[in-house]
Amino acid sequence: MPYVDQRHTLAWTTVRRERLLPDHTYGEVNARAGQHVNLREIVARGSVPARYVFLEAARQLRLSKPEDLNDLLLVEAGDRVQAGQALAGKNPERGRRVLSPVEGVIVYTGEGRIIVQATPERVEVEAGLVGQVVEVRPERGVMIEAFGALIQGVWGNNRRMIGPLRLEPEEDGLEGIFDDLIDRQYSGAVVVTRRSLKATGLMMIENQGIGGVIAPSMDAGLYEQAINHPAAIILTQGFGDLRMSTQVLNILEGLVGRQTTLDAFLPDRWDTRRPEVFINLPAKAGERPPEPRTAQMLREGMTVRITRAPHMGSVGQIMDLPKTPQLLDNGLRTLCAQVSLATGETPLVPLANLEVFGR
Amino acid sequence: MAENRNGAILAADFGSVHTRLVLLDTVDGSYRLVARAAGRSTADFPFNDISTGLTRVIEELSSITGRTLMDGGQQIITPERTDRAGVDYFVATASTGRPLRTVVVGLVPEISLASGIRAAAGSYVEIAETLSLNDTRSEEEQVNAVIQAVPDMVLITGGTDGGAQEPLLVLAGRIQLALQLLDPARRPVILYAGNTQAAPAVQRMFRDLTAVFVAGNVRPALDEEALEGAQLQLGRAFDKFKENRGMGFDTVGAMSAVGVLPTAQSYNLLIEYLGKAQDVDVLVVDVGSAVSTLSASLNRQANTIIRTDIGLGHSAHALLDTVGIETIQHWLPFNTSYDEITAYTRNKTLRPATIPQNLRDLYLEHALLRAGIQALVQAARPAWRKANPFLTTALPTFDPLIGAGAGLAGTGNPGYSALLLLDALQPEGTATLRADANALLPALGALAYIKPEAVVQALEYGGLEELGTSISLSGQPRHDRAAMRIRIRNASGQLVEHQLAGGHLWVYPLPPGQEVEVDVRALGRGVSLNGKARLRLKVSGGSVGLIFDARGRPLPLAQDVRGRATQMPDWLAEVSGGEVMPIDERWLAPLAEADTPLTAAESPTPAGKPDRRWRGRRGQAATRSLTPEEQEQLDEEEDLQNALR
Repeated sequence: MPYVDQRHTLAWTTVRRERLLPDHTYGEVNARAGQHVNLREIVARGSVPARYVFLEAARQLRLSKPEDLNDLLLVEAGDRVQAGQALAGKNPERGRRVLSPVEGVIVYTGEGRIIVQATPERVEVEAGLVGQVVEVRPERGVMIEAFGALIQGVWGNNRRMIGPLRLEPEEDGLEGIFDDLIDRQYSGAVVVTRRSLKATGLMMIENQGIGGVIAPSMDAGLYEQAINHPAAIILTQGFGDLRMSTQVLNILEGLVGRQTTLDAFLPDRWDTRRPEVFINLPAKAGERPPEPRTAQMLREGMTVRITRAPHMGSVGQIMDLPKTPQLLDNGLRTLCAQVSLATGETPLVPLANLEVFGR
Repeated sequence: MAENRNGAILAADFGSVHTRLVLLDTVDGSYRLVARAAGRSTADFPFNDISTGLTRVIEELSSITGRTLMDGGQQIITPERTDRAGVDYFVATASTGRPLRTVVVGLVPEISLASGIRAAAGSYVEIAETLSLNDTRSEEEQVNAVIQAVPDMVLITGGTDGGAQEPLLVLAGRIQLALQLLDPARRPVILYAGNTQAAPAVQRMFRDLTAVFVAGNVRPALDEEALEGAQLQLGRAFDKFKENRGMGFDTVGAMSAVGVLPTAQSYNLLIEYLGKAQDVDVLVVDVGSAVSTLSASLNRQANTIIRTDIGLGHSAHALLDTVGIETIQHWLPFNTSYDEITAYTRNKTLRPATIPQNLRDLYLEHALLRAGIQALVQAARPAWRKANPFLTTALPTFDPLIGAGAGLAGTGNPGYSALLLLDALQPEGTATLRADANALLPALGALAYIKPEAVVQALEYGGLEELGTSISLSGQPRHDRAAMRIRIRNASGQLVEHQLAGGHLWVYPLPPGQEVEVDVRALGRGVSLNGKARLRLKVSGGSVGLIFDARGRPLPLAQDVRGRATQMPDWLAEVSGGEVMPIDERWLAPLAEADTPLTAAESPTPAGKPDRRWRGRRGQAATRSLTPEEQEQLDEEEDLQNALR
């Protein structure tokens, strides 16, 4: 069946994106359906459940029976308490007392014990897009519709940042960004590099305060370093030494200077989100760019990207779609497409190794 | 649902990458596989809904068969109409989607906790946390750990029937406290499978907090393990979990006669049925993208192992982490760097559907596959030892051996599929090799209870691809010296004789459905045909034919890359009947010189055989065979590691 993977790379499109609080957080939505939101606008706030602290209060007060604690309690479940506040004792000011080691909420008292939940960490969700709220998910977040350029990558380091788009210096790449340039152009920017990320590049990004990087690929050995890197990093091709495809580069080169949302989502096998770059673009009154086409069957003439060696990252047009499985050089036999590349080559490529762009 | 009808059956299996559909119908009074179709699963971006992929594949099946299967409302038509539109039964199985996050509680790590984890291994679960009496963390740390694990389920085991309840109730109390602290909407369900006498007390502890399932004790006595009850309840919990998750499971489940059955549970049902009804020792290994399953019936005891850390796509990098880089390198006939292998597995994880397009990638992919299957076999051995306490070989004598999953059964080259099974499972003596490229087995498992006759008939009438019969030598034959003398008398009475040298394979082409008489003798000291010096039997053919494997067991894979660079291309050519695809000399250069892997454009094309530079010597290049005591000790260590994983 000629349906293949999709990785949207579109210069002008309509997207709908969820902006939700992380799973297992409790929160509230700060936007309403139909509301226009800006990049930095907070659309939801919530709390990440914090750890529970167990206080063996009866033992601390040297009570012979745990139930005797009830008469000495100075707080009850639901009370907010400060670190150092007396929770139990004959006198809250002096003598033998049980003090709270953390700021938080009393969640349980009984059986001679007090349990305090430390104050939860607060989280806020930014819109990250200039657009309109089209749906509200109670207690979780919103769905926002926006217009602009969309480039989906294959890997991200689980950070999100927003900044102006810049291209790396043509000659020396990321390694050519020095202090004298940084203040003016690159500090806090989203920088596009055409080359595979190396250890020196990662170091330069951190040292120079670059906010995010769009790279074609990265050495696999740098994985842990990239995960812990302060900048948001997106790979458009994969791991190894792969160059950026012209399709992606052409779109990004035309948008230098624009505010860019780098959503470097770390792919998770149980989650369907993808890392992506989105750049809001203005629409004329009444204009609405087309949404990505998701129900595309392969057909002759369609533009595709090849996702495995030896032509990994190459973009070409489908010339032919043989109906029967074809024999590959390595002895496997599978359904293939014949793809015409800019180099003049016309390789047979397994359908499993093709992606379409959403148009 | 149509009752007691004998019309068509449609079965769908939803994998992480592929959605496969088979249509069974009666031909001359027996159920047969009449059509199949497959396409990409749509559980991922941009659809997040498995029913989209189902509709597409059904449309393709309809175009192949000319039968209308869905109505205008995208509902499968049941029962079958007189114009042959629709089907009498639709069944669905799935291995896609997030597994149940589970906290397992047991008294002693090596006993009840290990049994609990083994029970969980038969379902799609991810062990998020464990608690036992040996846990040195404080109560506060334990309760916080349970809460932070964000479990969907807590499996509580512990105690033998009639034994002390107090320690078990202390641990259960920690879970009770954790649940009390959790928001009611986010509390996990409890599955209790411990000391039977403590069940009422445990139910009382949790009944006001969450749903409680009770199963039989997984460890009724110290020397007795009974996992079936817990596994059955786990299957029910999984069904409920899937149904509530959306992603189209509710839509598909409503149309199916069995809901959406876990694919692995379906394998287990089928294996159990075949083991008991037909009294065969059968093994099915399915290496999927995200999840892999090994299901086997030995001495009428069925056992299924599911591993979410073994897979060729979504779980490719997890597989590398599980087996280690040296294990992968052991199966490669060229030098590779850590970076190359990790780049490969990480890219496979990012694009799980892709397939190798050049020779180097093919070896990498198949190294992962072989290592993954061996890890599954190692995990299954404790259960096999229970079914056969006298087990001394690495693999019990299973017949047939069935491979499933796209990487194993969808190579498009039956020789490759057969060699992968032989290398990874290393059967000794005779074995029938089959491939399930169409996901027929999960369908049959789902049908085992509602239409058992369809199961037997579909298997009997060629539902699986018959790869052939293998006859494999045990022990270590001398390389390039006579190791097997083969006499084959074909149907026309003609005698074919062949002497096979040690370290090689030979294939006698015999199409599926044809039989010949075979007389094989093991030649040389220390070798046998699964303990016998001679085998005389009638065997049937397959798409590969009769495969004679005189390489020895354990497989004497060379310890050095140059040796493997001679062995592996030869073996591939000997089984597939193709020309030898030699390993490029540059791939054998020391890593510093070979740091840039060759592209496939530079990869070798089939050519003549390379010079034989490698000559294995017994006791040097070959892997040493383990004694039964060593194997048992290894099994126990592995069992413990699996339990603690």
